[in-house]
Amino acid sequence: MSSLPRRLDVQEAAEDVRHRTLSELPRTLDRLIYLASMRDYNTGLYYHDGLAARFSQEVACEALADCHREVFRQLVACSLENVVCQMEAYMKSTHTSPGEFLAAWRKLEPYRVAVPVEADPLSAQLLFSTFKIALAILEARLNPRSRESDASPHQSPGR
Amino acid sequence: MIQLVLFLSIGALLFLALIFLVWQSPRAEDSSAALVEARQALVALQTGLLPMELIGRIFNREDLDYVRSQAPEPVCSMFLSDRKSVALAWAAQVRKQVLNLMRFHLGSARFHARLSLRTELALAVEFAGLLLACRALQMVLYVGGPYAAPRIVGATAATAVHVCRISERSLAFLNSAGFGALPGRPSGASL
Repeated sequence: MSSLPRRLDVQEAAEDVRHRTLSELPRTLDRLIYLASMRDYNTGLYYHDGLAARFSQEVACEALADCHREVFRQLVACSLENVVCQMEAYMKSTHTSPGEFLAAWRKLEPYRVAVPVEADPLSAQLLFSTFKIALAILEARLNPRSRESDASPHQSPGR
Repeated sequence: MIQLVLFLSIGALLFLALIFLVWQSPRAEDSSAALVEARQALVALQTGLLPMELIGRIFNREDLDYVRSQAPEPVCSMFLSDRKSVALAWAAQVRKQVLNLMRFHLGSARFHARLSLRTELALAVEFAGLLLACRALQMVLYVGGPYAAPRIVGATAATAVHVCRISERSLAFLNSAGFGALPGRPSGASL
């Protein structure tokens, strides 16, 4: 069993990631995207040279996977309003034009590859839906005219 | 002669009863499969479906109010449709996992856990009520949308948490047998 990463090392490595890296990222969405980017899409394994040098590749991989699951749960627990705010701030931080950003995210749905492999399917479904609606809200903000023309003839009874 | 026939008949009946009992008793592989399935169902319920944060997120009306205040009607419709799908999937998953747990209790739980007759009867009633509540919830959500039945959602989740606690006792011996503790259990769910 010595080849298996020791749990204590994994916890220490995860704490290191949280303290040194994730705390520097301002939003949960940024953390999710960062952690997903540390994963090799072909193998599903996470890589971080600094962490692997300090601990081991297995420990680093396990620690990053733990952090990824944790951040995913945090984002699932966020309200829609919170996700919209995070997405808007993230969009601004990329220095892309909002129109291009929203079109790319709507077409490519990059958030679908940002969830951990072992993510609970229901939570993933909820998060994908939240992202989709958040994009629609940001698009509506970007094109307020279409929003007004869409909204006026279809006023719902609850409004 | 009549006595001989009578004794032979009784012997044959006893022999058939013995064969029937042996045939009915759970085989080792069936029992272990039921255990694994029950444990998976328990973990799925406790860590995936019943945590309060997830239930609160799916059925929280604040998201709907926010969409209505921020986006046009087509986006509201899209939101309601998506959330309804998620809510229905939640109810279906809870029902499926509760059924798995119930099969374990009906089949082989008594061979592994010493539950009193009273506990078993109470559990049977709770399982039946829970399955009915899940089915009713699915119908209400399908007809009325994700926000139509907050009380049924709360009651279903609370009963499911209670059933999980009892099932956990039945499966507790697995933890001591080296399967490790269940990860990230919720403290309980209620709306």
